[in-house]
Amino acid sequence: MPGRYHIHTKVVPNRFPAITRSGVIAWEEGCLKCARCVKKDCVYKVYEKRGLDTRQMLDSLDSMCKDCFRCVQNCPNRLIHKGINPVYRALGDSYWTPEIISSLWFQAETGRIPVSGGGYGGPFSGKGFDAMWTDMSEIVRPTRDGIHGREYISTTVDIGRKLMALEFAPDGGLISQIPPLIEIPLPIMFDILPWSPPDDKIIKAFLHGARSLGTFVCIEESYLQHDMEEFLSHIILLIEGIPHHRDKGFFQMLRMVEIPDSGETKALQEWLKEINSELIVMVKLPLSAEAPERVFQLATDGVEVIHLVADEYGMEWGGNPFFIADRMKDIHLFLVEKGIRDQVTLIGGGGIAMAEHMAKLIICGADAVTIDIPLLVAMECRVCRRCKEGIPCPVELEGIDPLWGAMRITNLIGGWHNQLLEILGAVGMREVRRLRGEMGRSMFFEELEQEFFATMGNSR
Amino acid sequence: MAQQKKGPVFAIFFCQQLDARQDINRRCLEKEFGSHIRFFPIPCSGRIEPLHLLKAIESGADMAYLLTCGEGDCRYGEGNIRAKKRVNYAQGLIEEIGLERKRIVLISKKIDAPVSIDILVREAIAGNDMLPIQWNGHNLQVDD
Ligand code: SF4
Repeated sequence: MPGRYHIHTKVVPNRFPAITRSGVIAWEEGCLKCARCVKKDCVYKVYEKRGLDTRQMLDSLDSMCKDCFRCVQNCPNRLIHKGINPVYRALGDSYWTPEIISSLWFQAETGRIPVSGGGYGGPFSGKGFDAMWTDMSEIVRPTRDGIHGREYISTTVDIGRKLMALEFAPDGGLISQIPPLIEIPLPIMFDILPWSPPDDKIIKAFLHGARSLGTFVCIEESYLQHDMEEFLSHIILLIEGIPHHRDKGFFQMLRMVEIPDSGETKALQEWLKEINSELIVMVKLPLSAEAPERVFQLATDGVEVIHLVADEYGMEWGGNPFFIADRMKDIHLFLVEKGIRDQVTLIGGGGIAMAEHMAKLIICGADAVTIDIPLLVAMECRVCRRCKEGIPCPVELEGIDPLWGAMRITNLIGGWHNQLLEILGAVGMREVRRLRGEMGRSMFFEELEQEFFATMGNSR
Repeated sequence: MAQQKKGPVFAIFFCQQLDARQDINRRCLEKEFGSHIRFFPIPCSGRIEPLHLLKAIESGADMAYLLTCGEGDCRYGEGNIRAKKRVNYAQGLIEEIGLERKRIVLISKKIDAPVSIDILVREAIAGNDMLPIQWNGHNLQVDD
């Protein structure tokens, strides 16, 4: 049995006070000067420990308050109020919601699973990943109880091409060429960021994080600097064509390379394989309505890994775009129908914002996922996209200490890993490889709605 | 990177009830002024403390503005009236240390229709005639 994979997390404090959902508004004027002020009775001592972060003028009252409302209720002159903090509401956008961002911050700071304790208060269903649910009917099985169960749940996935059968010569010798395969201990790799402030230190944080987690970071060839070469075994190098300035020895040190899908794909793959036959070549393919056919063609041409990418909202390109999960389902089922699904590794990326999104995309047919924005959020990004417009980053991400960033990323992924274990335990599975394409372990809102309402003559 | 303007550094405190799209609408100014403008949105102008205004000046601002809604419009009742008293108090304190009172400015705006923070701030700083503060002959640091 393989050793248990465990991610060591520890509290890594924020550099800036986190933006909280609500703020305290406490008037001084009108104070009755009671013998004992309700502020003195705060169990968390937020009024006594009050401080001001002068970089952002954020009052520690807000970040320390635990919303118990004791002071609000007990002030006899009603001088203390709590109101929704509009800065919180302005975080991110309709996809990268303030709730998602603050939950990612919490996980990156503590390494723990976010638990509200108040049950799920969100809508019954929604768009994108909220249009599907995982079927947790096995949640009662105690031995396979996610993080704490006795049975080991493996989150390891294989990246590479697989043989469907081995061929032997009459003398018993193996004829089949065994293609290279890389095992990563969790189905997550780090992708190129859609936007960021100057990212030298950010990429170093990704590299340190990926190395300690045992996974990979995609980096454009032109970005690769000398001091990143110690991380080569954790880098997926994105190359657009043959990089003539690199010697062959360089490619022998790499384990994975990514190339964009183009007319040159096959030639480039052959060129790389000739230099290093152990190298895994991943083809990057933007998702679109044509993707299922193209994936089939690439897989039949011998491509090992296909990286299917959507935009930062999980939407594909082209008219009438599908959401990544729907298109992934299409592609997976198309390859199953053609009988070649198991030969190729499919990796999906774009719009993965929470641990459950990763599990849901795997259920829809991906072997693993790539993530980008959550890694920035782990380092306190507010998804304001000011950096994209050339405006200074409000949390000075360009100046982070890479080791601090790596620890925050490790915490975040530690939280996601535990959530994946919980999901696998609850759907009754012992390894994430088996979750791939297991659509029977999920329910799709649209299908259920059709099923129930079709008999009433109501189809939307 | 953002274009940087020479001249005074502005700290803008403002009640967010003024402009629901403040985070988007202020970007034009952030781009234009770079590190010479800092925005500090607050849930209600009554939340301002004299300490906030003084700290802003201490950390490099030459001018601190507080933008509030008009009297009678505060969603928390009397926030802007309380803000006025605190601004007065802070103005008194900077005067004591030898700075001009008008380095802290209160702008109260009766808002009938949605207004962009960009317009409000441009109007506010247009009338400024104060130069950067000379602290014992040394200017505080900004990234020029
Ligand atoms: S906080 Fe805003 S500016 Fe900074 S990295 Fe995130 S999106 Fe970019």
